[in-house]
Amino acid sequence: MNLNYEHLPVIIVALLLLAAFLEPIVYRHKKSWAAPLVIASMAFFALSSLYLMAAVNYHGPFNYYLGGWAPPFGIELEIDYLAVFLLLTFSVIGLIAIVYGLQDLKHGLKDEVLGWYFTLYLLLMASMAGISVTNDLFNMYVFVEISAISACAIISIKESRECIEASLKYLILSTLGSGCILLATAMLYMITGHLNIGYLNDVLPRVMSHYPNNILISLGFFVVGYGVKAALFPLHVWLPDAHTAAPSPSSAVLSGLVIKVYAAAFLKVFLKAYPREIFLEIPVMEIVLFLSVLAILYGSIVAMVQEDIKKMLAYSSIAQIGYVFLGFSLMGQRAVAGGLLHIFNHAMMKSMLFLAAGIIIYSTGIRRIRDMKGLGVKLPLTMGAFTIGALSMVGIPGTNGFISKWQLALGALDLGRPIIVVVILLSSLLNCLYYMPIVINAFFGVKGEPELEIGKVPGVMLYSILFLGFGIIFFGIYPAPLLAFLQKTVTAIL
Amino acid sequence: MIDIEVLSKLFNNYYYFAAIILFIIGFHTMLTHANLIKKIIGMNIMETAAFLIFVSIGYIEGGRAPILDEGFDQIYMNPLPQALILTGIVVAVSVTAYALSLIIKLYQHYGTVDADEIARIRSYKP
Amino acid sequence: MEDLLVRIICRLVVPFVQLYGLYVITHGHLSPGGGFAGGAIVGASMILFALAFNLEAGSRKLSHDISLLMESGGAIGFILAGFVAMLLGQNFLTNKAAGFPLGVPGNLFSSGAIFFFSVAIGFKVGSTMCTLFYNLIEGSDRHRSSE
Repeated sequence: MNLNYEHLPVIIVALLLLAAFLEPIVYRHKKSWAAPLVIASMAFFALSSLYLMAAVNYHGPFNYYLGGWAPPFGIELEIDYLAVFLLLTFSVIGLIAIVYGLQDLKHGLKDEVLGWYFTLYLLLMASMAGISVTNDLFNMYVFVEISAISACAIISIKESRECIEASLKYLILSTLGSGCILLATAMLYMITGHLNIGYLNDVLPRVMSHYPNNILISLGFFVVGYGVKAALFPLHVWLPDAHTAAPSPSSAVLSGLVIKVYAAAFLKVFLKAYPREIFLEIPVMEIVLFLSVLAILYGSIVAMVQEDIKKMLAYSSIAQIGYVFLGFSLMGQRAVAGGLLHIFNHAMMKSMLFLAAGIIIYSTGIRRIRDMKGLGVKLPLTMGAFTIGALSMVGIPGTNGFISKWQLALGALDLGRPIIVVVILLSSLLNCLYYMPIVINAFFGVKGEPELEIGKVPGVMLYSILFLGFGIIFFGIYPAPLLAFLQKTVTAIL
Repeated sequence: MIDIEVLSKLFNNYYYFAAIILFIIGFHTMLTHANLIKKIIGMNIMETAAFLIFVSIGYIEGGRAPILDEGFDQIYMNPLPQALILTGIVVAVSVTAYALSLIIKLYQHYGTVDADEIARIRSYKP
Repeated sequence: MEDLLVRIICRLVVPFVQLYGLYVITHGHLSPGGGFAGGAIVGASMILFALAFNLEAGSRKLSHDISLLMESGGAIGFILAGFVAMLLGQNFLTNKAAGFPLGVPGNLFSSGAIFFFSVAIGFKVGSTMCTLFYNLIEGSDRHRSSE
C-alpha cells in the first residue's frame, strides 16, 4: 500500500462527495450522527488542505492523473500553489461557517430538511475543491454545474417566497452562464483538440492565427459565463436577492466563497490556458478591468441606500468581487497577488460580517439598519466583531482589508495606472460612508423607543465570529508569510 | 454579391449553423418570455445547442461507434465529445428537474407561473 | 386512471423494459449505452408503472427508504470502487493497472472496474429518476389536498 500525500487532493474531493451521499442515510436512521459527520469531513478537509499547503510549499507543485491516464487523454489534477491556496481558504471558512450554522440552522430550518442541507453543503464544498484542483476544462464545467445547483439549493431550502424566487432567478442566470462556458469550451476543443489547460496553453499560440474567430468567441463566452457566476458588474442582478434571502450561514458561504471560486476559475482559464499574446491583440482584459471598476463604484453606491443589513452586505460583495477582478485583469505580478489576497481576505471579512448579521437577526430579529441603534451595548462582542469587519472593509491599516487594497494599489502603480488607485481610494471612502454609520449608531446611538428583546446567543456562534475577527487582525498585522506564498503563486502563473 | 465559397462552407457545416440558430432561439425564449415554464424550455433548447455544437466536433460522415470488433479498418468517430455531452445531459436533466420543482413551489405560493404576474402580486403587497 | 387495457399492457411491458434496462447497464462497454442510459430506462419503467396504476402502488414497489438507499448507495459504490484502485497502490479510478482482470474482449466481464462503475451509475440514475418523479407528483398532490 502506498498512500502518500499525492493522493490527498482526490481523497478530499471523493471523501466530501462520499460524506455528502452518506448524509441522507445517516440523517434518516441515526439523526444524532449527522452533524458530527459534517464537522468531521470539513475538519478533514481543512487539515488535509493545511498539510497539502505545507507539502507543496516544501516539495513544489505536483500533478495527479485520474485513472492513471496521462494528460492528453485523461483528466489531470494540478496541485500548484494557487490550488492549495484556494483549498485552504475554502476549507477553513467553510468549516467555521458550518460550525456556526449548526446552531443557526436548527433555529431557522425545518427539521426534516436539515440532513439535506448538510448534503448540499458538502456537495458545494466538494465542487469548490474540485474547481480548485482540476486542470481540465470540461471537468471544471462539471464542478461548476454541481456548485451552481447546490448553491441554489442551499438558498431555496428555506422554502419561503423570497428564497424560492431568488433561487430560481439565480438558477436561470447561472445556467445561462454554464451554457456560455460549455460553448466556449467547445470552441477551444474544436480548434485544439485538447481540454487540458496546460496543453491548451501549448497549442493555442500555434493555432490562433488560423482561427481568430473561435478564440474571440470563446473569450467572449468565458467572460460572460464566469462573469454571470461571479456576479461581475452588469451581470450581478441575481446576487442581492439570493444572498439576502438565504439563511445566514449560506449567505456567508455564498458571498465569501462561492462567487470567489468562479473568479479563481476565471483566473485559471484566462491566465493559465490562454497565452498572454492573445490579450495584446484582443483587449478582453481591458474590458474586464473597466467592468470591475464600474462594479466597485456601483456596488458601493447602491449599498449606501439599502435598509436591510444583509442586502447592504450583498451589494458590498458586488463591489468587492470587483476588486478581485481588478487585480486579475491588470495582469501584473503584484496586482494578481493582490486579487488573490483579496479572495482570502474578503472571504474572511464578508463571511464574518454575514455571520455577525446572522447573530443579530437570530437574537433580536432586527434586519433594518435603522433599528440597530444602541445594539452595541446589548451585543458587545458581536458588534465588536462587526466593527472589526467594517474597519477591514474600509481598509484601515492594521486590518487585512488594508493589505490587499495596498497590494492592488501598488500593482496598479507598477503598471502605470494611477487612475486605479483613485478608484480604490474613492471606494474606500464610500465603504466608510455605509459601514461606519452602523457602527457609530450601534455604540453611540440613542436607544429606540421600545426596549430590545435580546435572545441568548449560543457560544459557538460567538466564538466562530471572534475567531474570524482575530484572523482579520492577525493577517492585517503579520501578512508576510501569506504575501511570500502568493509571490510564489503568481510567479508560477504569469 | 453572394460569395459561393461562404455559402458552401455554411452548407457543409450545417450543424454548426443549426446549433447557432437553436442557441439564439433558446436564449431569446429564456430572456423574453414571462412564463417560467417557457423559460425553462428555452434554457433546455439553449443547452441542446451547446451539446449539438460539441457533439458535431467529433462527428465524421459514415463513422461508427468506436467499439473494438472485427474489422479494424473502419472509420471511427471521436467518442470523447459524446462522452462529455452525456455528462452535460445529466447536468441539464438535474438542473431542469430542480428548476421545475422550484416552479411548483412558486405556483403554490402565488397560484401562477407567470413572472410578470408574480411581480405584480409582489408589488401589490401593502 | 382506471383503464383495464393500459394496466394489463403495462403489467406485461414493465418486466421487459426493466430487463432491457439491466441489459443496457451491464453491456455498456460492449454496445452503445451504459449506466446512465440503462438506469434511465429502468427508472422510466417504474414511472410507467406509477402512471398506469397509481402512486401508492408505485411506491409500494419501491419505497422511499429503499430508493434513498439505492440513490446514495450507487454514488457511494462508485466512489468506493474508485478507492479500491487507490488501496492497490494506483491512482484513483485506475482500472487495468490496479489489477482488475480485463478478460477476453467481447465477453460480458471484459472491462474490469468499468462494470462496477456502470452498475453503480445505473442504480443511482434509476432510483433518482423515480425519486424525482415521485417527489414532483407528491409535492403537487400535497398542495392540492391542502386547498
